Amino acid sequence: MRKTGILVFCLTCIVLGYFTFTLSKKAFTSEWDLPAVSDGQEAKYRLVLITQELETPFWDKAGIAAQEQARKDGASLEVWGSYGKNQEEFLKKLEIAIQSKVDGIIVQGLDTQEFKDLTKIKAAFYGIPIITVANDVAKSESLRKTYVGSDQYLAGQLIAKQLLDDMGYKGKVILMGDKHKEFYQRQRLDGIHEVLKDYPNIQTVYAETTDVREEIIAATQNMLNQNPDTDSFIAIKANIAGAMIQEIGRRSQVEPYYIYSFDDGPDSISLLTQGKLDGIIEQSPEKMGSLSVELILKWLRDEEVPLKSEGYLTDIRILKAMEKQ
Amino acid sequence: MNKIHKKIWTLTTVILLIMAAIWITLTYYNQKTQNQYNEILQRYLRMNEVTRTSQQMIADLNNYFITPIPENLDKLNKSRGKIENAKREVSYLRNSENDFALTNYMNLIDSLVETTDRSLLYFNEKETEDSAKEFSEATRISMYISEMTLTLIDSELNTYERLYRGIIDQSEEIKKLGIWLMLMITCLLMFLTYGFSLSITKPVQKLTQAANELSRGRFHLPIKVDSNDEIAFLAQTFDRMRININNLISEIQHKAQLEHELQESKLLLKESQLLNLQSQINPHFLFNTLNTLSKKAYLEGSHETSDLLVSVAGLLRYNLKRLDRPVTLREEVMVLQQYMDIQKARFTDRLHLKMSIDETCLNVDIPGLTLQPIIENAVNYAVEPREDGGIIWFRIQDGNDCVIIEVEDDGPGIEEFKIKQILQGQFIQKDGNSTGIGFTNVVRRLRLFYGNEDVMNIESSAAGTKVVITIPKDRRGAA
Repeated sequence: MRKTGILVFCLTCIVLGYFTFTLSKKAFTSEWDLPAVSDGQEAKYRLVLITQELETPFWDKAGIAAQEQARKDGASLEVWGSYGKNQEEFLKKLEIAIQSKVDGIIVQGLDTQEFKDLTKIKAAFYGIPIITVANDVAKSESLRKTYVGSDQYLAGQLIAKQLLDDMGYKGKVILMGDKHKEFYQRQRLDGIHEVLKDYPNIQTVYAETTDVREEIIAATQNMLNQNPDTDSFIAIKANIAGAMIQEIGRRSQVEPYYIYSFDDGPDSISLLTQGKLDGIIEQSPEKMGSLSVELILKWLRDEEVPLKSEGYLTDIRILKAMEKQ
Repeated sequence: MNKIHKKIWTLTTVILLIMAAIWITLTYYNQKTQNQYNEILQRYLRMNEVTRTSQQMIADLNNYFITPIPENLDKLNKSRGKIENAKREVSYLRNSENDFALTNYMNLIDSLVETTDRSLLYFNEKETEDSAKEFSEATRISMYISEMTLTLIDSELNTYERLYRGIIDQSEEIKKLGIWLMLMITCLLMFLTYGFSLSITKPVQKLTQAANELSRGRFHLPIKVDSNDEIAFLAQTFDRMRININNLISEIQHKAQLEHELQESKLLLKESQLLNLQSQINPHFLFNTLNTLSKKAYLEGSHETSDLLVSVAGLLRYNLKRLDRPVTLREEVMVLQQYMDIQKARFTDRLHLKMSIDETCLNVDIPGLTLQPIIENAVNYAVEPREDGGIIWFRIQDGNDCVIIEVEDDGPGIEEFKIKQILQGQFIQKDGNSTGIGFTNVVRRLRLFYGNEDVMNIESSAAGTKVVITIPKDRRGAA
């Protein structure tokens, strides 16, 4: 009786002891892996990539490539920007970057006075180098170090040639552009005109609109009303394409029209795969990201001074709906 | 001597130590957690401080622009100092994850200070427009700082989320641990207390039991307590007392027995005397008459009759005198011979007595009238009933440290159970054909006299009976 009592007691003690021990081990060993305290001694270059359209396929690719390159070169880079071409937010980010005295800014060019003021006065005041990427702003107006991106003039030419290939040498083309003609759009337009001016049978109509969806739709309606015999559309600004095609689709079939655009819009690729776009100009966002980082670091390290002011051009090619499918 | 005292102290100390250990651990842990909380709070407070001071600085700058008096300038300078301070504090918050943002943050603060300075400079140089421009920029930067503070706090929350969750989980674990710990300690203390109380009460219980036994008069059970404290000492003393009492009691018992034996021997003696007196109407008259008869017979020429009468008279005198005190074997043998003379006269040729006596053995002490009844018995059973009589051998031999007396006859023998009765002192003779002193009486007297149960031995068969009496030469123990 006494023996069993002691045995039961010992067992209880062991069980209790085991639980207590494991619990105390759990309770008193902290497994918090706090982020390592940075020594702050490392003279790392702090770079910022600022775009107007975060989380679009195009800029995601560019951002990832830039970060990859920055890591390789031992610099730190953050991607900032606004969503959906919110210029106010975009400019604010740019100003914060300048006021934060980062070592270099890689920015999607915006052809507005505010942008130019910031780059020309503020950035220059703090001595921060600026490289425009994807969309350029003339060096004289922005004091950018260089431009990394596609040759928009060439892009315009390519798209015009593709149009000729597809449509033939006769027809009516509606060119939809932004009311606020940015530098890169002007270049694209120039490229297109350069090719088409040799073909008198091709008639071009230029329409202007803003970023607001309703206005794009209104402008498209207007164009279709005025030019019922049109054969082709070219969206100079990729963002316009979505709303434009939607409106065309409401009127009639989309297929008969030859519609072209660029790949830097949020829905460019999906429109192409749906077959609504006949072709887009595909640029090289990865190349843009990595090359811009590489160049700005070279500039910061005095390895390549000065940078080519006319810019470093990345590859472009035409991507047709057929190929995508 | 201070064992129980020590035990109590040990138990208390153990409990105290356990409690102290738990208290220290918990306090230490609490302190650790508290520090962590403080550190976390500190981080947020520092960041918030930046926002606050930056806004304060803008307000002060504005105030100065509106009323440019030295006090306001002082205020502005003070808040400038504060923001520098805040910046320094913030720099400690740097870690690998907020490195970039924090550098930006600190540069923003620098920019704010610079812009403020510039604005002030322009203001002092009366370039109002530039000053206003710089002021608006400073305001913007202050706003950016506020925003960035929020962003930083946000990322801080993300970074430290696991830490916070860990702290919450841990406090939960601690709560559980508390319960388990309490259970375990309760269990342990109960066990300790049980063992402790048992170590005190068990010996006491044993002692109580022993006392009970003693009070019931059982003194032979030893008292044993296997503990190492005062109780064991108590038990030892108690045991010694028990042994003493036991010894005393056995001594008393022994004495009482001796007393009893003495009493018995006296009673037996009385009985012999009484029987003697009963059988002697007037011994002196009889004795004188016998003497007269003897002389008469002698004068009438009957010498034989005269001798016989002398023997009877001697026997009678001996009987009167010697019953209450020890005599020598020699006297006893002499009386025996007188008795046998009388018996020979009675049985003539039928009785053959063969004596062989070692003269050196005749000086030992023997109770009076012990041999005569044995011979008488032999005569009565072995000679009297038989027509052609019988032979009786009487021998006294030296057996080194004892004297061996043998009385042997060739009679029909005694039955086994009778021998047993005789030796146990239970046999009662019925017929009156004797001098009166029975066999049984003899046996008991011999035993009492020598204090030895094996004094007499009887061997009996159909061819005869042999009574052997072994008397020690040195009487041991005065009866």
